[in-house]
Amino acid sequence: MSANTLLFELRQASKSYAGVRALIDARLDLVGGEAHGLIGENGAGKSTLIKLLAGLEQPDQMTTRLNGQDVDLSDGSAAYRLGFRFIHQELNIAPALSVAENLFINNPLPSLAGFLVDWATLRRRAIEALERLGVKHIDPQRRAASLSAGDAMLVKIASAFIGDDARDEPLIMVMDEPTAALNSAETSLLFDVIDRLRARGCALLYVTHRLDELFRIAQRVTVLRDGRVINCHAITDTNTSELIREMTGRATPAKADRGADFGAEPQPANTRLRVTDLRTDSISGASFEVKAGEIAGLAGLVGSGRSELLYALFGIDPLLEGFIELDGRALPPLTPARAWALGMAYVPEERRSQGLFLGDHVSRNIAMPHLDQLSRLKTFIVDSRANPLSRQLGEAVRLKINSLRQRVRQLSGGNQQKILFARAILAQPRLILLDEPTRGVDVGAKYDIYRLIRQLADDGASILMVSSELDELIALCDRILVMRGGRPAEELPAAGLTESQLLERCYDFA
Amino acid sequence: MKLFASAAETRARFSLTAFLRRYGTLVGFILIVLFFWIQRPQTFMTIPNWVNISRQMSILGVVAFAMTIVMVTGDFDLSVGAMASLVGIVAGTTFQSGGSVASAVTLGLLVGAVGGLLNGVLVAAVGISAFVATLGTLTVFRGLALYISGGASIYGRTIPAEFSSFGRGTIALGRIGETDLVLPNLTILAFITLVLVFIVLNFTIVGRRLYAIGGNMEAARFGGIRIRRLRLLSFVISGLGAAVAGLMLFSRLSTAHPTQGEGLMLQAIAAVFLGMTLSEESQPNVIGTLIGVLILGVLANGLTQMQIDTYIQQISTGVIIILAVTLSSLSQQQGHFGRWLRRLFRQSPADSS
Repeated sequence: MSANTLLFELRQASKSYAGVRALIDARLDLVGGEAHGLIGENGAGKSTLIKLLAGLEQPDQMTTRLNGQDVDLSDGSAAYRLGFRFIHQELNIAPALSVAENLFINNPLPSLAGFLVDWATLRRRAIEALERLGVKHIDPQRRAASLSAGDAMLVKIASAFIGDDARDEPLIMVMDEPTAALNSAETSLLFDVIDRLRARGCALLYVTHRLDELFRIAQRVTVLRDGRVINCHAITDTNTSELIREMTGRATPAKADRGADFGAEPQPANTRLRVTDLRTDSISGASFEVKAGEIAGLAGLVGSGRSELLYALFGIDPLLEGFIELDGRALPPLTPARAWALGMAYVPEERRSQGLFLGDHVSRNIAMPHLDQLSRLKTFIVDSRANPLSRQLGEAVRLKINSLRQRVRQLSGGNQQKILFARAILAQPRLILLDEPTRGVDVGAKYDIYRLIRQLADDGASILMVSSELDELIALCDRILVMRGGRPAEELPAAGLTESQLLERCYDFA
Repeated sequence: MKLFASAAETRARFSLTAFLRRYGTLVGFILIVLFFWIQRPQTFMTIPNWVNISRQMSILGVVAFAMTIVMVTGDFDLSVGAMASLVGIVAGTTFQSGGSVASAVTLGLLVGAVGGLLNGVLVAAVGISAFVATLGTLTVFRGLALYISGGASIYGRTIPAEFSSFGRGTIALGRIGETDLVLPNLTILAFITLVLVFIVLNFTIVGRRLYAIGGNMEAARFGGIRIRRLRLLSFVISGLGAAVAGLMLFSRLSTAHPTQGEGLMLQAIAAVFLGMTLSEESQPNVIGTLIGVLILGVLANGLTQMQIDTYIQQISTGVIIILAVTLSSLSQQQGHFGRWLRRLFRQSPADSS
């Protein structure tokens, strides 16, 4: 296989999830010896594209060609057979095994007499595989559990090179945000390895949020937005601001059409939430305020500490330092139970794992944090109190269900999310924390949720919301706090802000 | 804005697989009863025999009902059998040193509560898995029982008559034809436990929160449920249930042997599992547990009447538990066997969902 030949072509790749189009007619060319960057905001379709390549999801439509031959990737193992390798952020390394055994994880171990492990050959081939990537500092006999995140990733990459025949490598390496958990020394080691992979003729598809990395390692970059391929550049023909503009779409009408519906009220005066020098394991010195009736947004890149700030405020993560004041009253150390009781509410990011009791009724899901209020003698359940309230709240959030006794598992993502909203507003909270309130929600439900959030704020609740959808933050919020390095690093008024400006602040470009 | 959408798609169509999944255990129970009725027409389906079954099963019932609470939260308690033995020995030792019935019972219940608290602390606060924690305390409790008793049974005249007569005692309810209708004291105790657990699990905040913890522990925590406290409580209840059962066993046998409660643990867990098959979401529920206890009780009673070897009884009990749980897990995702069985019943996958 020679370098710089067209290795893989993807055409007309489309995929919808429950009517939401995640990928629309995408195309992609991968060239041997090149690293190809794939960028886009959260929800732009990057993960969907990777899942289609890996055969983890079935495309609605897709044509793929490898070395000019049509290939079918829809079977889960086809991609592997054809030479695709996928490096995810969460690496499935077997921690109890040695590095050498992990390198062989997809191959049979070399054996003696058919049933004994040939440890000498195992070790030799492990060293060879690592050396092909120029990795010399990892001892193949170490236990994988002791590897750093960066070394674990190198081992995972090297496992693709464990084959006996060094030329038998028609490899396309797909890396999904590989540097998210790496420090700078590990990152530069990874980049060296990527250069070596390219020298061997591999094609790389490199998904990242960090644009500066692309200019270091990539030759080409494809921009996705709202499921469509917006552009594909040679890296030398573009620059950061152009890429950001393409990712966010300058033409997106932020305030113009949405802002009219969710327009901000005049700023109220009194401070609802005051946070002073808050520290947890992932938050480093957060200080900010939210006023009564205000919608404050938290913007930031993955890993900037947005969700973790909400964890700290809601008593999920223990505080190491700092003070939280609600309506001028200093709060005692919080637990989620105490936070609910103090008039705070929380809609978590992962509604299925963190929010819902999927096997339980709609009404019970709504009432769960509020059972004390809905009971007799603080002991006995009184359905005649909970049910009318659940019905009323269900109407307020425009829930569409067959019955209050329907199992939540059967509902759509949008309706599940609305259940969490109904739960959040049941006790008329003073402060509502929202983490990605419209993630995985269809367009109609999204609109309902925007309307509801605005309504809650107009009624006097303070809202602090995390969102990766910048247009949503700009349209909905009065003020946006930009998270960088585990704390709100700056505050921007939402009025007049463009997505490009906001994204630049997230990346902290001067 | 209408809250309820059209309910057209919720209309049910009869499906054999779905029916067996949901009610197979109940059908099985009825079949077992019918089988013994046919086999032993004179003795099986009689009031005295059912009174007898209820007495035989009362001790297991108390343990299993309390165990249901622990299993609702997704944990289980392996130490209940050893605890029941230990409580018998504690009460027996109290009698030997001249203690009254009240003090022996109080001390026994206290031991049960403290042992349950220990389990709860290990699981909910220290964070050890329930399997390891209660396996450890099982061994500790058994060792304690053997140590305190010196490995010997406690019986004879040191045990107050009013204590041992309670276990054999009955309350007369009247007569039906030729037979006296009586309720054994032990049956009444088991019934009281059943009612209490039923109320807690179905009508109280605590019960709903316990189910929430079992359904999704992280969501429960984010939703403001004090998980640690409730898990602790569930183990204390389980320990208390084991203590009550230990006292009942001691009273009924008039003997406290340091290992006499050991069979209870596996049977109690089996009863809860059998009961879970009767719930739509495969959750532990105390009425289901009651059915599970009755299945085990009727099997033991019927097979004994048919003079079948107790070893064979164990084999058949095990087979029935496995069958029941297999039948209830015939959902789409559950592997080749489920798919194979569905083909056998010629059901389209949509029907059995």
